Amino acid sequence: MATKDRNILNRLYFVTAGLFLFGVAVLVKLTMIQLVDGEKYREIAMERTERMFTIAPNRGNLYSEDGSLLATSVARYTIRFDAVTVADDDFRTNIVPLSNSLSKLLGKSPTHYQQLLRKAKENKNRYTLVARNLDYDAYMAVKRFPLFIKGPNKGGLIIEQKTVREHPLGKIAERSVGYENVDQEGYYSGVGLERAFGEYLRGVQGKRLKQKIAKGQWKPIGNDNIIEPKDGYDLVSTIDINIQDIAHHALLAQLEHYKAEHGCVIVMETKTGEVKAISNLGRTPEGKYYERLNYAIGESHEPGSTFKLMSLVAALEDKVIDTSTVIDTEKGTWRIYDRTVRDSKNGGYGKISMARAFEVSSNTAFAKMIHNSYKDAPEKYVNRLVAMNLNRELGLPIKGEGKPVIRYPGDKGWSGISLAWMSHGYEVSMTPLQVLTFYNAIANDGEMVKPRLIKEVKEWDRTIKKFEKEIIDPSMCSKETAAIVKNLLKNVVEKKYGTGHKLYSPNFSMAGKTGTAQKNYVSKDPDVLKYISTFAGYFPAEDPKYSCIVVIHEPDKSVGYYGADVSGPVFKSVAQKIYANSPLIDEVEIPNLTDKDLNTDYQKYYAESRKEYHKVPNVEGMSGMDAISILENLGLKVEVKGNGKVKKQSVSHGTNIKKGNIIILELS
Amino acid sequence: MKNGILDILKGKFLVSGDAPKNWLFIIYVSFLATIMIGSSHGADRKVHQIAALNEEVKELRSQFVDIHKRVQQLKLESTITQTVEKEELYPSEVPPSKIRVKSIKD
Repeated sequence: MATKDRNILNRLYFVTAGLFLFGVAVLVKLTMIQLVDGEKYREIAMERTERMFTIAPNRGNLYSEDGSLLATSVARYTIRFDAVTVADDDFRTNIVPLSNSLSKLLGKSPTHYQQLLRKAKENKNRYTLVARNLDYDAYMAVKRFPLFIKGPNKGGLIIEQKTVREHPLGKIAERSVGYENVDQEGYYSGVGLERAFGEYLRGVQGKRLKQKIAKGQWKPIGNDNIIEPKDGYDLVSTIDINIQDIAHHALLAQLEHYKAEHGCVIVMETKTGEVKAISNLGRTPEGKYYERLNYAIGESHEPGSTFKLMSLVAALEDKVIDTSTVIDTEKGTWRIYDRTVRDSKNGGYGKISMARAFEVSSNTAFAKMIHNSYKDAPEKYVNRLVAMNLNRELGLPIKGEGKPVIRYPGDKGWSGISLAWMSHGYEVSMTPLQVLTFYNAIANDGEMVKPRLIKEVKEWDRTIKKFEKEIIDPSMCSKETAAIVKNLLKNVVEKKYGTGHKLYSPNFSMAGKTGTAQKNYVSKDPDVLKYISTFAGYFPAEDPKYSCIVVIHEPDKSVGYYGADVSGPVFKSVAQKIYANSPLIDEVEIPNLTDKDLNTDYQKYYAESRKEYHKVPNVEGMSGMDAISILENLGLKVEVKGNGKVKKQSVSHGTNIKKGNIIILELS
Repeated sequence: MKNGILDILKGKFLVSGDAPKNWLFIIYVSFLATIMIGSSHGADRKVHQIAALNEEVKELRSQFVDIHKRVQQLKLESTITQTVEKEELYPSEVPPSKIRVKSIKD
């Protein structure tokens, strides 16, 4: 076919038409994208480049009384490895030293890490977990390891950071400090102070519109709809870490020795109700102890003999007895209906006064006294206990306070023997903190104060809220009754026959009551029978500063179970330590004596010591004491022979000073 | 109309008699544009800087807490007691006595 103009033109038209159609198609598609699907694509584009961010506030810190950190938020680092981005050469040369370094820092064997990394390389894994939750130091070290030092692209190092709650004191008071979690629906859960005061600690989330810019960063845009995040407040608790430390370790030692199931200690400041220490330790199957549950606050149990104080105060207040009332302990057993009350001492104590009965902790005396005094109107006894707030929860901000149980006549479980059993701490139930609050009220001459764990809420150094002392009952019992029982509590430790005399120390005074309560006694099987050993009291006995309770559950019966043996030593350790840490101050008044010679000597020395020397000074003729201090301040080592004034110096004056050089002084 | 577009395409406004006036305006607009671009980059740089500083604050905070934690644990009496037990040093059972001397003028 000949090539003619017409042919060429035809082809040209054909191509043009094709191009035109293609153009139209493009135009149609464009219009479709813009108009039909426009909304959707614009939204996607916006989301890629603009986004509303919620900005998490920093959670506040929890401090102890002296400003030590109990809980704070810190960054923790997770290290991952991208095996694909690393060059094969780099990988080969560095894998052994890298594995060795990792093994040294993290504890597993070098072969473990070699296998891990080799496997990652084989499987082309770009996200292999190397280590989780490293602290700052470890993270810095990892960054400097061979291969990892090359950074994310050449070294394959991936770092993820997250904020976690850290307890700088570790296991100490962990349960009372507590924690708080939030689930996806925004519900909070947790325990301890962290949960109880969460609303202060949490802060407020912020919101901000941001636009994407280079390096994966987001730039804030616009001035509308901005909510600034508000950091949480700091909390200052009443915990004193020194007392807490002592209480924790004393309790731990005792639990370990007696192989007990669990135990707790609370130390409270008498006047203010501030809890200085609260320690709760529970046993793991392996026989280790840790802060398992908040027994001190949550566990309501039969208090046993420590409840005799409540009974005695009730009886004294109702004036049904006085401390000189004599009771016959009847050879240590007393039958009431079909049950028998027994004393811990075989054969009993004979006829003794109520005061003595309290000091030796006679069950029969108390059962008889309360039963006989109140049997015609048992509600009078219960009403008195209720009037002393023993049936009320303390209303602590920490969740999970155990409910006290005080039964009324006619209630389920009440029987003819109830009075006798309640008198020495059975058929009633209280938590350790509730018992301590009562003992504290006695130490406080009848003023019952509410235990507190928080002092104030702060924002930096500005106080947002102060928690003041709260009084539950300004006079729970009369001052006279309080004075009488305070004397008896002192005798428990001081008098030779007292159940707490083993704890007596001539150096410092304590007052308190032992308690050895039976647990699981219903089954009457001696193997199941367990004990709860308690010691509650305060110190110093005369002018109480702190009250303290120690409760230890289920000590190994073969080692011991009496309150004075098991719990008492913990109480004593705490009391002793607080006593030993508070200096005894004596003041003497001495007339202002001035010795003229002494003064001029001192002035001379003072002038000499203020001078700046660059060369060894002449100290001949100076008193040895002065010469030594001047020369040693210049960095010389001084050796002395003899006594008195300097006769000769081994390095002559005017010599240049070299630190550490020895100079010998001859004195006479 | 047609002429107007052609004139703009030919760049007449840049060379005609009253061109200097237009030029001034063009320079002014370019100047504004430069400042706008510059400040936008400046803002970006600030964001990167803030991100880096935030990172540093977090790391320093983390470092502070770690060191503080170690100090707090070292300061605890139980730790000290354990460390000096080797030296046969034990905590005192009696408190220290302080004697405060008050001088009276005669």
